[in-house]
Amino acid sequence: MNHAHTNSKYISNFNSWAEQKRFVNFTDQDAEFLKILHPFATQYADTFVEKLYEHLLQFPDTKRFFSDEKVLSRLKLAQKAYFMDLTSGEYGEEYFQSRIKVGISHQRVGLPPRIYMSTYCYYMQLMIPQIYGNPAFDVETANGIFSALHKIINLDQELAISAYIHATDEVISRQTEEILEMSTPVIQIWEGVVAAPIIGMLDSSRTQQFMERLLETIVATNSPVALIDITGVPQIDTATAQHLIDTINAVKLLGSQVIITGVRPVIAQTLVHLGIDLSGIITRPTMASGLKVALDKLSIKVIDTSKG
Amino acid sequence: MATQETGENPIKSEGDIVTCRKLIRNAATAAGFGMTDVTRIVTAVSELARNVYVHSGSDGVMRWQTLYQAGQVGMRLEFEDFGKGIPDIAQALEAGFTTAGSMGMGLSGVKRLMDIMDIKTEINVGTTVLIEKWGRAK
Repeated sequence: MNHAHTNSKYISNFNSWAEQKRFVNFTDQDAEFLKILHPFATQYADTFVEKLYEHLLQFPDTKRFFSDEKVLSRLKLAQKAYFMDLTSGEYGEEYFQSRIKVGISHQRVGLPPRIYMSTYCYYMQLMIPQIYGNPAFDVETANGIFSALHKIINLDQELAISAYIHATDEVISRQTEEILEMSTPVIQIWEGVVAAPIIGMLDSSRTQQFMERLLETIVATNSPVALIDITGVPQIDTATAQHLIDTINAVKLLGSQVIITGVRPVIAQTLVHLGIDLSGIITRPTMASGLKVALDKLSIKVIDTSKG
Repeated sequence: MATQETGENPIKSEGDIVTCRKLIRNAATAAGFGMTDVTRIVTAVSELARNVYVHSGSDGVMRWQTLYQAGQVGMRLEFEDFGKGIPDIAQALEAGFTTAGSMGMGLSGVKRLMDIMDIKTEINVGTTVLIEKWGRAK
């Protein structure tokens, strides 16, 4: 599980784990208290795991995670080890790494955080009578154990939730990149004509990408005309307009010409209100009418052969 | 008197500008504004949110409210930042005036897009821009 190990570096590092322990005020004393509980927790572990799964299997939501009998018995063993580790008294780097792995694997199988969290809640409900009902512990010891258990569970949860959040963040940033790539295609639609439909707002990072692609495609296809279609742009503010004008100027420097198509009536009205001057630029309401202008410029005539 | 919708959204990143636009597009559409007015309002939101993000040098917040009055529906928005402030409002409202290398059409454009615009500003304390747009209720 090399992969899990590499992942853990990004989620949280060992320094921040030490910091987090200080943050919840987890001391050596707490480790000692948990050690006191350990033999009792070990004794109780099997019963606990049985009760826990009995509880979890009552709910269809959780049941579907444990449909396979073999998986279930393996999980029970893992769960037993997990909860026995909780009171092991050792909370160093090894503990930290193992907890992060647990978080990552839960996230991978798609176990919702709420089920993960509720399991702890159920665990506490089972453990509280074991602590306060134990004749071996006086009230002070019982309080100490309870508090220590609460802290270590909080630390475990923090690591697991970080793993969940980290995984989601990765998905989001990957999707953002994909959207950026997808949303600014530049295609050759005729010999000498490229078209670039813009979908969504043109912000600065997209403009940069869009401009690069457009200029590259114009050069690669040796196209004198580029159609920039803004049908899919919901609104144009001054920043977007500026991005468009910059792009048009860059295209001009290559000796080609831009036709803006897909100018909807609402966009036209807003541009006028904003006082943006596009008078030097050829604009058309539709891509089709824009293409016609482009073909005229290239002295290409399209003939409807059905009409002889 | 229909229920008033209110809300707010922080402006701390470029992503927040996107969220502001989306929120207001939905709110204005739900309030019953037509396509043209929705686009005007959202464009103004885009300008002012960007002003907060790019020019104020601080974080800010957008607050909004839909209003219903005498068969009219209104949208009131407030953009507050705690940044540099605007030294000369009259100059900032001149078309083509910019301190940031941008078009300089933003504030004057917003004024034309909206029915009401009111700017309160204090140097190194911050700026609040209040705008309103009214239309016939559905």
